[in-house]
Amino acid sequence: MRTINTSLQAVAAAALLAALGAPAISQAADATAAQALARKEKCLTCHSVDKAKDGPSFKSVAAKYKGKADAEDHIVKQLTSGPKVKFPDGHEEEHKVIKASAGDIKNVAQWILSQ
Amino acid sequence: MTDTKPGPLRRCWNFLSRPSAKYSLLTLLVAGFVSGILFWGGFHTAMESTNTLEFCIGCHTMADNSFKEYKETVHYSNRSGIRVVCSDCHVPKDWAHKVAAKIKASSDVYHELMGSVSTPAKFEARRMQMAQHQWDQMKASNSRECRNCHSFEAMSPDAQKKSSYERHMAANKAGKTCIDCHKGIAHNLPAEYKDPDE
Repeated sequence: MRTINTSLQAVAAAALLAALGAPAISQAADATAAQALARKEKCLTCHSVDKAKDGPSFKSVAAKYKGKADAEDHIVKQLTSGPKVKFPDGHEEEHKVIKASAGDIKNVAQWILSQ
Repeated sequence: MTDTKPGPLRRCWNFLSRPSAKYSLLTLLVAGFVSGILFWGGFHTAMESTNTLEFCIGCHTMADNSFKEYKETVHYSNRSGIRVVCSDCHVPKDWAHKVAAKIKASSDVYHELMGSVSTPAKFEARRMQMAQHQWDQMKASNSRECRNCHSFEAMSPDAQKKSSYERHMAANKAGKTCIDCHKGIAHNLPAEYKDPDE
């Protein structure tokens, strides 16, 4: 009985540790996938992580949407519906529509918002 | 001592090096000329058959990797219905460069036979090396194969997005070449690749 209790405790402890560790591990994997998609779709031509270019930096986007509940949905919509965006010189263009799976787009939106 | 009969090679040479007793010089020249055209036609057809998509994806390494990736891109399927195949980007159109490329391609045959990239893991391990080699070639030729179809002069400011058009015109002015920016347009970028804008 004692042995079984100890085993169960060990399993529970391991599960808890795994659960705590899992988000951290999946975050790193997400960043790699997000960066790969950003390179593939040439996001970095107009957006930098920390500097303003033709488009806002990802850091400024993250700051703008910090704490907002619909932030991720807004970013996903921005990337998939081709809305008109304004350039520094004043002209407007349709934002590029990102070709990727819904999961990958959600991932890159989360990555942008985590900058 | 009797003379031994000359060997087959010697007999053939004797036959060819003797002047013709039966046919006129004009007949021989015309026959040679026509044969040359037929031979050249056959040679050209054979070489062009190695430029078809079907030929390239005959090797499973290409079918399983490069072909699958390319099928997701604009060069495979697009609004205008223009399909660009392997040879359009990887084989020069002009004869001298084309033949040089075909000779260099013997290395592809070697590696396919040796199984250098015969599994997805092996392919990924060498993807950066293969990609870099291709980018270096394209840079050295000033994106010659891209320019088979695309040219800065033909770009329409009305049809291109303003930011794209300005970027293209600036690149042309700065003497840049297509492959400087347009990497990974037909096949997946290597994991080690870093965007120059990063």
